[in-house]
Amino acid sequence: MRRRNPLVTSAAVGVYAFLYIPLIVVAIFSFNDSRLNAEWVGFTMKWYRQLIENDAMLQAAANSLIIASCAAIAAGVLGTLAGVALHRFRQKWLTALVLGPVAMPDILIGVSLLLTFMLMNISLGMMSIILAHVTFCIGFVAMAVQSRMAGMDDSLLEAARDLGASQWQSFRLITLPLLMPGIVAGMMMAFTLSIDDFVVTFFTAGVGSSTLPLEIYSMVKIAVTPEVNAVSTLLMLLTLILITALSRFSPQSLRS
Amino acid sequence: MKNGAKALLTLPPAVYLFLFFAVPGLLMLLASFRFPGDYGGLAPWYYVEDGAITFDLTLENWARLFETTLYLQLLLKSLLFAVLTTAICALLAYPLALTIAASPKKHRDLLILMVILPFWSNFLVRIYAWMIIFSPQGALTEGLNHITGLLGLEPVNLMFSSVAVITCLVYVHLPFMVLPLYANLEKHDPALLDAAQDLGATRAQRFWKVTWPLSLPGLYAGAVLVFIPTLGIFAIPDLLGGTNGIMIGNVIKQQFVESRDWPFGSVLSLVLTGITLVLVVLAGRLGRTPGALT
Amino acid sequence: MKKLVTAVVLSLTALVSPAQAQKTLNLFNWNDYIADETVARFEQQCDCKVVQDYFSSTEEMMAKLLAGGGDYDVVIPTQNAVEALIKQGFLMPLDKSKLGNVKNMGPGFMNRSYDPGNQYSLPYAFTTTLIGYNENKLQELGIDPSDWRVIFDPTILAKIKGKVTVMDDSEELIAAALKYLGYSVNDTNEQHLKEAQAVILKAKPFWAAFNSSSYIKELTVGNIWVAHGYSSDMFQARSDAQEAGRPFTVGFVLPKQGAVLALDNMVIPKKARSPELAHQFINFMMAPENAAELTNIVGTGNPNAEAKRLIEPEILAINAIFPSEEQLKTLETISARNSKERRFTSRLWTEIKVR
Repeated sequence: MRRRNPLVTSAAVGVYAFLYIPLIVVAIFSFNDSRLNAEWVGFTMKWYRQLIENDAMLQAAANSLIIASCAAIAAGVLGTLAGVALHRFRQKWLTALVLGPVAMPDILIGVSLLLTFMLMNISLGMMSIILAHVTFCIGFVAMAVQSRMAGMDDSLLEAARDLGASQWQSFRLITLPLLMPGIVAGMMMAFTLSIDDFVVTFFTAGVGSSTLPLEIYSMVKIAVTPEVNAVSTLLMLLTLILITALSRFSPQSLRS
Repeated sequence: MKNGAKALLTLPPAVYLFLFFAVPGLLMLLASFRFPGDYGGLAPWYYVEDGAITFDLTLENWARLFETTLYLQLLLKSLLFAVLTTAICALLAYPLALTIAASPKKHRDLLILMVILPFWSNFLVRIYAWMIIFSPQGALTEGLNHITGLLGLEPVNLMFSSVAVITCLVYVHLPFMVLPLYANLEKHDPALLDAAQDLGATRAQRFWKVTWPLSLPGLYAGAVLVFIPTLGIFAIPDLLGGTNGIMIGNVIKQQFVESRDWPFGSVLSLVLTGITLVLVVLAGRLGRTPGALT
Repeated sequence: MKKLVTAVVLSLTALVSPAQAQKTLNLFNWNDYIADETVARFEQQCDCKVVQDYFSSTEEMMAKLLAGGGDYDVVIPTQNAVEALIKQGFLMPLDKSKLGNVKNMGPGFMNRSYDPGNQYSLPYAFTTTLIGYNENKLQELGIDPSDWRVIFDPTILAKIKGKVTVMDDSEELIAAALKYLGYSVNDTNEQHLKEAQAVILKAKPFWAAFNSSSYIKELTVGNIWVAHGYSSDMFQARSDAQEAGRPFTVGFVLPKQGAVLALDNMVIPKKARSPELAHQFINFMMAPENAAELTNIVGTGNPNAEAKRLIEPEILAINAIFPSEEQLKTLETISARNSKERRFTSRLWTEIKVR
């Protein structure tokens, strides 16, 4: 262990406070018994009750889950292929194509896809959102898979081939199982990115395909009631539970 | 056989990304030379008259960019916001990453998880949090104005200001700086510092001569990861920025979802794309490529 | 892995199926422009679900509709947007046989030039665009809110710097500036429009924000003292402030130079998914009790002649909501602009935002 500078340590504690205080404020105000939520009035649970009855919000949450699951699965397949291809063939054009959407600011993906969908006559809705999400998710899965590939022992594959395994067999029986942790980590990343995405969804959403982030945006922009705080708090709680569970069951997936 | 496998691996993702990443980019380039449609969208880019094809393309949208210094100013302002955000992120992330890297091994994972955790709450929730904090009736503003009142100064407004925008930009992007920096600092060999100390280096010298130069690749990686997304953002200036806190992302969004001037929106998007590309190439040159994206 | 996929698929089908079992009316409406009570009653009556998306400016609505997000069942555009949408061939002709309540509408609001014979649209409500303000604060400062100077004149704005919001809407804000200068809101003279831009730019440093959607709340909380916005929104801000027991009252007034009058309509896009339900909704909204609720709760002006008797008299008496004959002379509706004019103002607007 290295010696620590107390000044540096207290700065670090300050940064942690900076990270958490805003979220704590959001959570506290979700119990505020005032629709205006300007100052503290009293404790209530009514915003949570209202939230449970809010059909639009529940539908948006369902939409978000569907979109994120589809995007994660599609990006999982395409990203795995891309990751393996990137590792094996090392083509520059493929790297640019796969990692391009990761590097570009979201807004550029959003507006260029809006333009494309309009010109291709694809009407905006769940499908267009999923297509858009897959675009920026592939790169993340590919990176996770590629780094897993890089750490793989080629002698295993050679041994399999010596023992007479076909290319497909050695891929299915050796490469794929070894890649699995990378694929799962990549898909989880894709799921999180998709469910959290606001910008790309903002440009590619259509009628009846509102997602949770869009719903929150419209609430924040128009009718800011403590219901926004309530939904935010629930979301935070959910992530917390998810992460605790993950760290119990597969600590290594968190490390990536 | 080998070629078959190659095609099987490469084609599906390549075709997908060609369709939904490369083609949209090209369409946008074409759109930047087209006229906007009468009610939105785009006007046809060619028409056939008496069997002859006439192209209806223009340089007007690009010319508009240079007609006034307005858009250059906007660009500079956005770059300034991004530079400030990156610098403040670095300033905050450095002590944090240093502390985590110097903690006992068993605590490090938890400490780094605590940095990522807020990042997993929804993006808009994090902005909303600052809307509450900066609200004119909030405790922070009232407290500040109590102090300015005592000093005989005019009351300040935090909400709808550049300060609000930059604070929130920093808040949202901080983990992108902490993670690569920590990944770098963690790998430093403590023996180096011990050796420096044995040779009589003071604490400051040890930092500036050993730790700092070694940490630069991590810092560069973090800088790219903060800078690029910051440059394109529109939601934060939208919700916190007021009348003069807007950035290039807001104007792009405005062209697409309010003004219905897609061609000019495409021009601005392409400018932003150009800047991004230059930055990515530059980052690749400066150190390792930003591989630590996850 | 297989288990995971199966679990995901199963939970997804479980989530989707109840949503599809029920009919859905997708309504694209202005924010805060229908009472929750009204929506609930319609849902009960038609055994369907109403899903609302909101817009806060005509430009925003047109952009969304024309970008391919057009398959809403009912949209509530303002008169000039109706005209543009008809020209675009975007709307479905209304089937009057399903709209028995048409008879309730006031004749003055029917058969207007933007849609002769009401082939595609039926009036929903009308609003004026005016000044909402914190009565106590403005009295304290001795500022007269019944004049566009309150949002455009720097000498007055200096006293309320950072406490003013104006609409984030090129049409409305430029129209207000034109009125302030004494021109018509439909003035297309480029010189006059540039003058309006100059007025806006001079006042901009004093404004807190361009805001078309949350000024109701900002006024109610007291963060903002003067807001440029719709009469119905100001009405809601006033009742909200009363209800929450705020230590001040919110007032609203038509500026003496005149203002914009907007007649909003119900239309059905060609691509609507359930036109049947859409007709039901339009007919429902023309029933006197539902139309009256729009005024009594939301505070809109009302084109429904039969609803008048159900409207609370004190609201009928508010001039900013139901303008007098005298005031009507100073009010103007915005007309549709051709693409050249539209591009010119859109450019002025972008410059306003950027500068």
